[in-house]
Amino acid sequence: MTATETQSVTTTSHSMARPLLAISRWLTAVDHTRIGASMALGAAFWLVIAGVIGAVLGVERADVSGALVDAGALTQLFSLHRFALVFGVAAPLMLGLSVWMLPAQLHASNISLPRLASFGWWAWLAGSITVLVSYLANGGPGGGAEQYVELYLLALGFVLVGLAAVSVAVATTVLTRRNGQRLADVPMSAFSALIGALGVALTTPVAIGTVIYLWVDYVNARVAFGGADFMDNWLGWVMREPQTLLYVVPALGILADAAVRTAKSRQPLRGVVLVGVGIAATVVLSSVTQQAHVFTVGASPTESLQSLVPFALFNAVPLLSPLVVIGLSLLALKTGKPSLSGAFVASFLGAGMIFTGLVGSAAMHIDALSLVGTVFAEAALVYVVYGAVLAAVGAVAMHIGTATGRALPDVPVILLSLVGVLATVLASLPHYIAGFLDQPANVAKGYDDSGIVGVANLAVALGHVLMVAVVALFLALVAKSRRGAPVVDRYQAQVNT
Amino acid sequence: MTAPALTAGPSRRTSTVFVATGVVAAGVVTLMGGMLAMWLNFRANAPTRVASDGASLIKDWLKKDTAVPEVASNTMMFTFVIACIMAQWAVYSARRGDKSHTTLALSITLFTGLALLNAQIALWLQMEVVLRTDAYETMFYAVTGTMFAVIASAMVYSLVAMFRMLAGRTQDHDVLAGHALYWYAVSGMFAAMWFVVYVQK
Repeated sequence: MTATETQSVTTTSHSMARPLLAISRWLTAVDHTRIGASMALGAAFWLVIAGVIGAVLGVERADVSGALVDAGALTQLFSLHRFALVFGVAAPLMLGLSVWMLPAQLHASNISLPRLASFGWWAWLAGSITVLVSYLANGGPGGGAEQYVELYLLALGFVLVGLAAVSVAVATTVLTRRNGQRLADVPMSAFSALIGALGVALTTPVAIGTVIYLWVDYVNARVAFGGADFMDNWLGWVMREPQTLLYVVPALGILADAAVRTAKSRQPLRGVVLVGVGIAATVVLSSVTQQAHVFTVGASPTESLQSLVPFALFNAVPLLSPLVVIGLSLLALKTGKPSLSGAFVASFLGAGMIFTGLVGSAAMHIDALSLVGTVFAEAALVYVVYGAVLAAVGAVAMHIGTATGRALPDVPVILLSLVGVLATVLASLPHYIAGFLDQPANVAKGYDDSGIVGVANLAVALGHVLMVAVVALFLALVAKSRRGAPVVDRYQAQVNT
Repeated sequence: MTAPALTAGPSRRTSTVFVATGVVAAGVVTLMGGMLAMWLNFRANAPTRVASDGASLIKDWLKKDTAVPEVASNTMMFTFVIACIMAQWAVYSARRGDKSHTTLALSITLFTGLALLNAQIALWLQMEVVLRTDAYETMFYAVTGTMFAVIASAMVYSLVAMFRMLAGRTQDHDVLAGHALYWYAVSGMFAAMWFVVYVQK
């Protein structure tokens, strides 16, 4: 064999081994970049699923006489849509971004407990894919295939355990790896990641406890919890506001950081921003009660007050969190050199969408408006989740320069953010209107689809498709930035936020 | 000539394991707390019916012929006290550099956990509750089964801490402090469960 042939054989074997090595490195990764990026990409995968289901459901509901989807599968499709938005997109996306960003923000080499975070990522991935499979095989809430309903519960447990594991790693990182910084001095993204992670670590076990009850009951007597048809009733609080605020709290920190980095200023009221982000933690109290707190005007002022206090505590107080952060971010922008950056525009619009979703949720809990049981709830959830996606776009735009040395250009990010906000509004606002027009939730029949309601559902379908397109284009932009000419990273200059 | 001032040394790093254990322990508290809250809710809302004598109301919760073996459940409660003392003894011994007593304390904690699991199984066998007809049966096995798993997780922690000690990592005081914290949290949650499930029923 000549030297040339030997070299050729060696090169071939190397090229064959390279993908295997890459896969093996990815499987065993314990560095924050890979774990965080993997979770974010996993969330992008679920966003496509959520978007497609949202579009299908929108078209299905635009015409009550049509039958795009089998009537028996509709309950599961609605349920899968909620799962995809909350546990497929919002929670893993924000936790993944936290894992990805934290070490750079805290000047640490890696996150704490990286193996726990890696376990969490794999548990979430395996669990969420199994949930998808169980739905496809007629399992899940409302499903008829018993084995797959059981599988759904086990997989959901895995998803929750995975998210809890990652949140423990995130919280521990902020609490232990600050390299001499006081907790009050860490960047706002890190502080909000801590609040969100603690919230997830404290509330997901409550959901796990409910899953255990449901599983034991379903596998055996089925006398206590009503079987598959009622599962979402017991677990509904995990996938609706205000609990979802805990999953997306990091979005508020991203906005606060983006404002000061864009304006190259300091936050004049940093303490108030910390309190604003911290207010989101009150949601933990709401979640552990596992109930919706509706405000009803009673026969006497005392009765009204008894209803108003829990409503205000659990639905109105969390509104202060995004409100304070949005207001003070604008103030920071004003005190520095006001300008627009991709990160700021995306995170500002994202936080605005989250706020709109929470306002909608609070309105839904006012009995006099009669919005409970309508599509209003779905719209509020979409606002919050897609708002978090926009904030994630801002986070990537802000930190990718530090992480890879290749920053993103501002103009495409701003344009994508604007299209993203259009997509969010299209995918949710029409359902706010349809909610006031009494379109019932989780069904595609039994209401008047003529006029505004029919058009509203078509607009929702369009919004979901547009959001999928925005995310796909943003991923393409990130991929392109790694090959094209370098762009100046305007966020590089570190400012104490 | 005056000696140059020394720069300050690095600040003591907060223990990762201890803090992480604290977060996990808080999660265990909310897990059991949430389950017990649902237990109380179901018990409060259990259906009532008029007794055969027509004079009193019966709440359909715990069956009349189901007896909770109080010896086993009370023994478990007291065994947890021993487990906590042993876990704290391990911390105390490690701080004094006493490897043999640390290992002894950890191994007793581990075996105490084993005794707790044994007592739980004995309790299940004695109660002979069958998962068939009502909410109590479902909730009883779900709550006690979860507690069983939580105790098993505490035993795994004891085992890991003991192996680390035997392997020579005698300065890992924070791991032992975290281990003790976890046992305290588990004991606290068992105390709550003991009161709700075995005493109040």
